[in-house]
Parts: sequence; C-alpha cells; structure tokens
Amino acid sequence: MKGKIPLRFLEWFCPPALYEGIEGDLLEAYEEDVKDRGKRKATLRLGLNVLKFLRPGIVLRNRFKMELINTIMVGNYIKVASRNIVKRKLYSFINAFGLSIAIAFCTLIYLFVQDEKSFDQFHENKGQIYQLLTSNFDQDKFEKKTPYPYKSNPYMPGKLGDVVLDELAEVQYMTRFNNYNVGVMRYSDKNFTQRFASVDTGFFKMFTFKILSGDARKPLRNISDAVLTKEVAQKYFGDEDPVGKTFTIDSDGSIASFTVTAIIETPPANSSISYEMLVLMDAIPWFVRSRENWGNSSFPTFVQLQSGASPSQLKVHLDTIMNKYLGKYKAGWRDWLTPPEDVEPRQFTFQNLSELHMAKDIYWDKVSDPMYSWILSGIAILILALACINYISLALTTSASRRIEVGIRKVVGAQKKQIAWQFTFESLILALISMVIGLGLVVVFLPYFNDFTSKAIELTFVSMLPVVGIAFTVAVLVGLIAGSYPAIFLSGFLPALVLKGRFTSRLQAGFTKPLVVFQFFLSACMIICSVIMYRQMHFITTKDLGFDQEQVIAIPTQTGWNPKANQTLTAFRNELKGDPAVASIAGVTSSFNKGWSRQSYKINGENKEAFIYGVDTDYIPLLNITLKEGRNFDGRASDSLGVIVNEALVKDMKWEDPLNEHLNWHEDTVGLGAPIIGVMKDYNFMSLEHAVEPMLISIDNGYLMTILAKLTPGDTPEKIEHLRTTWLALFPDRPFEYTFVDEDVAAQYDTHTRWSKIMGLSTAFAILIACLGLFGLSGINAVNRTKEIGIRKVMGAKLSSIFILLNKQYVIYASLAFVLAVPLSWYAMNRWLDLFKFAITIGWEIFAFSILAGLLIAMLTVSYHAIKAALINPADTLKHE
Amino acid sequence: MSKEFLGEFEELVLTMAGILQEEAYGNAIVNEIKERVGRKVNLSAVHVTLYRLEDKGFVKSKMGGATNVRGGRRKRIFTVTNAGLSMLRTMKESRMDLWKLIPQLKIVGI
Repeated sequence: MKGKIPLRFLEWFCPPALYEGIEGDLLEAYEEDVKDRGKRKATLRLGLNVLKFLRPGIVLRNRFKMELINTIMVGNYIKVASRNIVKRKLYSFINAFGLSIAIAFCTLIYLFVQDEKSFDQFHENKGQIYQLLTSNFDQDKFEKKTPYPYKSNPYMPGKLGDVVLDELAEVQYMTRFNNYNVGVMRYSDKNFTQRFASVDTGFFKMFTFKILSGDARKPLRNISDAVLTKEVAQKYFGDEDPVGKTFTIDSDGSIASFTVTAIIETPPANSSISYEMLVLMDAIPWFVRSRENWGNSSFPTFVQLQSGASPSQLKVHLDTIMNKYLGKYKAGWRDWLTPPEDVEPRQFTFQNLSELHMAKDIYWDKVSDPMYSWILSGIAILILALACINYISLALTTSASRRIEVGIRKVVGAQKKQIAWQFTFESLILALISMVIGLGLVVVFLPYFNDFTSKAIELTFVSMLPVVGIAFTVAVLVGLIAGSYPAIFLSGFLPALVLKGRFTSRLQAGFTKPLVVFQFFLSACMIICSVIMYRQMHFITTKDLGFDQEQVIAIPTQTGWNPKANQTLTAFRNELKGDPAVASIAGVTSSFNKGWSRQSYKINGENKEAFIYGVDTDYIPLLNITLKEGRNFDGRASDSLGVIVNEALVKDMKWEDPLNEHLNWHEDTVGLGAPIIGVMKDYNFMSLEHAVEPMLISIDNGYLMTILAKLTPGDTPEKIEHLRTTWLALFPDRPFEYTFVDEDVAAQYDTHTRWSKIMGLSTAFAILIACLGLFGLSGINAVNRTKEIGIRKVMGAKLSSIFILLNKQYVIYASLAFVLAVPLSWYAMNRWLDLFKFAITIGWEIFAFSILAGLLIAMLTVSYHAIKAALINPADTLKHE
Repeated sequence: MSKEFLGEFEELVLTMAGILQEEAYGNAIVNEIKERVGRKVNLSAVHVTLYRLEDKGFVKSKMGGATNVRGGRRKRIFTVTNAGLSMLRTMKESRMDLWKLIPQLKIVGI
C-alpha cells in the first residue's frame, strides 16, 4: 500500500476510536489527488495532511493509559531487584558510587549556576536600574573588528550624576556608589579599620535593601548621618540600641563624627552591591573636592529610569551631555586613544543592573565569567557520562547470570517489553538509591564546594526542594538512559537457547568497547590538563620573584594619604631599633597586591608609562633586591631628586649607560629630570600574569602608607604579638593589622589555585569512576574467555602469557584514547597558559608522564580479573562440556 | 442566547452536516464547503470541529458501511441532533433580528 509510513505515524498518535474514519477520509482525498495531480504530489499531500492531524484536538482525545508497567508484577520486580542488589554487593556498590557522585556533582553545579543567575534579581526595580559606564576606544578591539570597539569601566565624573538627574527627564533617581572608603572607626574604647560606602539618597529608593530599624523613610539626611548593617552595629555597640549613637571615623587625614540613623539589612551573598556602612557622598571630602572636576572619573554611578522610559533615549542624551560638558577634553582623548577620524574616542554608555554580574570585562565586585558555569557544567556532564557508561558495561558483565531468569520468565509468558521494563525498573531503583546517597554527598560537600568556588550557597528547607527535584530528574534520566541498553540487550535472549544450557556462549557486548575508549579519552584529557595546571601552579608559587618575601609582614599605617604616615613609620622604626624580633623596617607607598600607581609621561614626543613606588632607604636591602648598577638611596640630600629604575625601564628607554641618563617623568619644562642613581634587577612586583613592566622607585614620591617589617627567623606568632603591643603603645587609637607579604603574593593566584583544585578533584573522581568501569569491562572479558583460557592452560600456556593476552587490548584502548586526548588538551591548556606572562612550556615529558600514569592505573585495574582468570584451574571451567 | 456558543467555522461545518444528511462525513464536508462557499478548508480542521460539535451534543456519529473506494475503510457519518438544529435556528434568527435593526440603504441619485 502506498504511503504507508504517514499512516503508521497517524495510527501511533491518533485515538483508536477515531482512526478508521480519519484514515478513510485521508485515503479518499489521496485517491482524488492521484487523479487530479498525479501520484507524487498526492503522496506528498497525504504526508502533509497526516502532519496536520497532529494537533491537540486529536492527540488529546487519547485516553492516556500506562500500559507499560504491569502493576501486578511491580512487587515482584522490586523483590528481584533488591535481591540482586544485595547478592552482588560489589557491582551494586560500584554503580551506586559512580551514579551518586555524578548526581551530587550535577546538583552542586546546578546550585552554582542557579546562584550565578540569581545575582541582583531581588531588586524590585531591577529592570529600570542602569549602571553608567565610561567607554574608551580600544585599538585592539578595533583591529579585530569587534562591533563595539570600546573598553568600558564604571568610573564616572562626580558631577555626571547630578547633571543626569537635573537635566534628563527620564532619570527618576540617581546614586553614586563608592565602596572603597576606608578609615579607622572609633566608638568608646573600640577601634577597627572599617570600610564604608558612600551613596546618594537615591540609593534607598532604587535598591531593595530593607531598613530594619531607625529612619526608614529618609535614612541619610545630613552629612553626619550613617546607616550600618546589623553585623557592624553589633561589632561596635554590642547589644545596645545603635540608633542615635555617635562615633568617629578617621579617614584620609581628617576625623569626622557620625550618628547612626538606621540599621539596614546586610546585602545577600548574591548582590553585586555590597556594603557594611553607608554615608552620604557629600560626607567624603575627597568627593566634594573633585566634584566639579569633569576630568576626574572615579565615581561609579547608577540611575533608575522612569517606568516606560526607553534606554535608547538615555543613550542619545548621554551623548549630548558628553558634548556639552566634556567637549574640551575630546582632543586630549583623541591624542591618547588614537581612534580613526570618524570614531568617538570616549562615550558614556550603560548596562542594566542584571547584566552587572556577568559583565566580566568591566571590573566590579564579585564579577564573574560565564565561562566558569560552562566549565563546571561540562565537568558535571562528563562525570555523568562516565557513570552511565559504567552502569551499562557493568550491567552487561553481570547479565550472564540473569539469563536463566530471563529464559524462565519468557517461558512462563513474559513479553519482551515486560522484561525490558523489569531491567529498566532495576536501574531506576539503583539510580534512586544513588540519588539519596548523592543528596547526602551534596549536603556534606557543599561547604567545600563553597570554598572552592568562593560562593556562599546555603541549603535551607525551601532551597532544598528544587535541589531534590533536580537530583530526582537526573536520577530518573540516568536510570532510563543507562538502563535502556542493557534492558534491550537482556530482553533479547532466546529462551530456548538460554535454557538448553549454553551459558558460556560468548557475550557479544561490542558496544562497550567504544564506550570504554571514550571513557579513557575523557580521563586522559583530564589527567593531562590537571598535570599541566599543577605544574604551572607549582612554577608560579615557587618561582624566584627577584626579591625575598619570607618573614616579611606589611602593616598599614592607618593614617591615609598625609604626612602622618611617614611620622608613623619613623616612630615605629625608632621604637623597634635594635629589637631582636625585627631584622629591619622599611616604608613603601603600597605593598605587593595592595595597589599600585602608574604614571604616563611624554619623552621626546613618545608616550611612556612606568609604575611608581615611593620607598625609603631600607626598601631595597629589606627585600634583598639585587642592584645591577649604581647604588641604593643612602640618605644624601640629592637622593630625593634621583630615581632607581628596573631593567625593563632601561630596555624600554633603550639606554646604553643608564647611570648617566635622566628620566623626565615629571615632564619638567626646565632641567633634564630625575637622574638615575641605580638599576635594579627585574623583580615581579605584579603578579606573574603580567610581564615585568618598566618601574621606578623614588624616595620622594608621596607618603609611605605601608610599613614592611622583616622578622628574624623563629617563633613568628610571639614576635607579631610583640609588634602589636609596641604598636598599640605608640598609637593606641589605631588598630594594628598585618598581612604576610608571601601570602599577599600567593593571593594573586587565588582564582587559578581554585580552578586547579577543582580540576584536580574532578580528575580524581573521573579516574576513579572510569577505573571502576574498566574493572567491569575486564570482568566481561574474563568471563567470555574462561573456556579459551582453560584450553590454553591445558595446552601448556604460561600464566604470564595469559596475563598478557588478557591485558593487551586495554593497553591498545588506552593508547588510542591518549593519542586522541593529546591534541585537544594541548590546545586547551595552551589557551589557559596564555593568561600568564610567565608560564611553563608544555613539553613531551608532561604527556609522557600522563600517559604512563594513565596506563599504570588502567593496568592495575584490569589485572585483578586477568590474574583471577589466569589462576583458575582449567578443570573447573572445562568439566561442564 | 443559549449557554453554548458556536464559532463561525463550527456553524459552517454544522450547516454542511445538515445539508449532506446521510452523506455527512469529513471529506464530503470539505468538498461541499469548497463547492458551495468556494473556501478551501483543511481536512484535519473539519475533523477536529466535528469532534468538538459531538462533545457539545450538536451532532452524533456512527460508522457507515464499508465501500470499495478509500481502501475499504468505513466512513464516520455525522448527523445533526435536535439540539444542533435548534442551535442553528437560534443563531439564524438572532442574526436576522440584528439585521433588521440596520437602517436599510436607499439608492439615491442617478
């Protein structure tokens, strides 16, 4: 009959009661079409007509029945399944272990992705809140033909906020937000370093942060008002009611007193806006000073648009504002950024609040790269795939012992479908057991996971529900997918053959071989990647940075940018002179990983840039920095003019004899500029992700806000305690805080360390799961060849040759997998190493090591079955025939 | 108006079923609509509408006798019930009532 396939399809979805009438009509139409338009067109139209019947009006007329499970048998299935699970404890354990780890991984990754997505979603006005951005023309992006060749940052001129609020009708509220104010906060006898955010009154109207007590309507009215989070209030005021209390903040060289007017909720972990204390922008002298200066872009600014206002209009208006107030700067920017004639050098743009968290190119607190979500999801899927493959190959391994059961069931009248269902059911039960274990693992591992990913995900009763839902979905999916192939395979046994006793006939499970190569391939990729990551992290943490970072602590002077900083340094140094705890003390403007300053200047019409640190005479000896030429500052009066530069700067300037050169970095119009008095060997003052850039140190460049103290070896805690008492005796109103310089340096690589740890852990699990799978496959192989081995032994084969016979193929699989894995992981890891200016080279020895390690693990795994099979007495295996 | 409401297409299909009487099955209705109204309609749409009308009680269906055409498949014959007929009548009358309320056009000029 012509056109059978469409009609079969129709039969599949159409309710049986309606089927005949519909089919008849279709056929009638078809016959007419054949007459009118010819056969080919008619067939086409028949197919099309059938498809048109695939509509709810027809499909939903089916009475849905679960005919798949014969409910009477379910009790029996459960019984048999549980007996089997108990009977083969090892296999059940292997399966449940792999599956539960996979489910736990998936659930954790779900939590991670969910948390990433939930960022800033709790603000009621999130749709209308935009962060303003300064976008500078970027030559690199332009050359790569990026559609928007600009680099954006969130730092805006202080006045811009006032102007958009006053002049643009669509802007309803505005707030600037700066969370980088730090000072010493004092209340009665308590003083701590306290970070505080400065905002405008619009802040409370725009963002959804609850006021817990105090003035909820307008918390910040005066410049002496402050709003605290509960934790900060607790820290200073204990159990007293904080509202109305007055405290002082010593910041930036001036002391101001504030009154607590309200307590605000602590921003949740998934908020991009974080704060501990809020004061008005106008309370920050630095802001007030630079407010009218359009050239000073330092203030992140948020606006909320009127509901219904279009962002595109805002863009047009921002362009107008740019021309109106900043027109005079444009020529300068053009010189600096050198865009083509018809391209603007700088623009004001904006992004919606909900994009803030994932905008990785724009620096902001907690900003995150969506790449991480992808990598983690990839790892989760990988582990899930490994576990599923295991289940399949193990189910096939053990299927020999289920053959009689299948045969008997079939003889008694079970249909193929029922038996397939039985086995699927079994895998479902196992998956559900794994789910329970997996959820347990999630709860146990969540704190570590939070550590690894630096998140603060918590499981509450409410958030547990979707987690259970996800775990359940994954479990059921895995149960169905992993269970279906063995089910189809096992239900296909012919009862006559099985029951006649052909137990030892070869089990054709060819499907598992590519699966195992695939497993090997995935594990090999992970092994290579983590070995490379480990090597690189080891290289970074042990590389000689060109200075001595051991036993050096950095102590902030807590004075701000003013002469008190240097006085503090001098007083502290004098007090500790000759003290056995301290080898030496030096001052610097900012310590490692605690900030830097970079200055650009023109020399002979060429733009040059250098990092600049202010130091004192003890800086170079304390850090044991090598001087290649010239001398250190030694206290003579002329030193304040001179600078010591690093080799990179000498190279950048193309100096032959640096000691006779001058560097005019102040761009003096008279004179030659600073004489070079010394050249330092390059040392890594920035992280190893960056090359050593041109850099200079000067003895007369600002205030030394950090004290470096080199401790003498031995009993560090006691010496630090000694320093603390000395400090508090000298400066009772300033907290003593310190960090170890080597820890600060290591902290630069936190992200990388974290990812190499995650990678290492995932690799460990992947290898474990893959090994279990391999164990299963070697089991199949040994079972299949029992008789062959028996005959070989009878013929006089040695144990070793049987061992080689059984293991040969795994070596081949593993080698094949590694050959496939090498180029992929080589490519991926090269991309990763590109992040570092100082990186290891990927040599053949890394691959060789990974391959050997992988092979060794695989050999150990398969040997169990090989040895067991080789040791069996041939009489036992051959006597049945 | 009665509690049930007929859509335009439902009314058309119901009317055709009334016209065709003993020969009212899916394909015949499609052809009838094409012939009398000049409108090409989809077979599946007609079927779905007929089943919906049956749910509402305006038609009832039974299987007809087998024939040699259409691959020997029987036809599902739909007959209009009394409820269906009265529905059609109500709709026609209410429409006529409304029609009468329109001021009749007069031909002016020429």
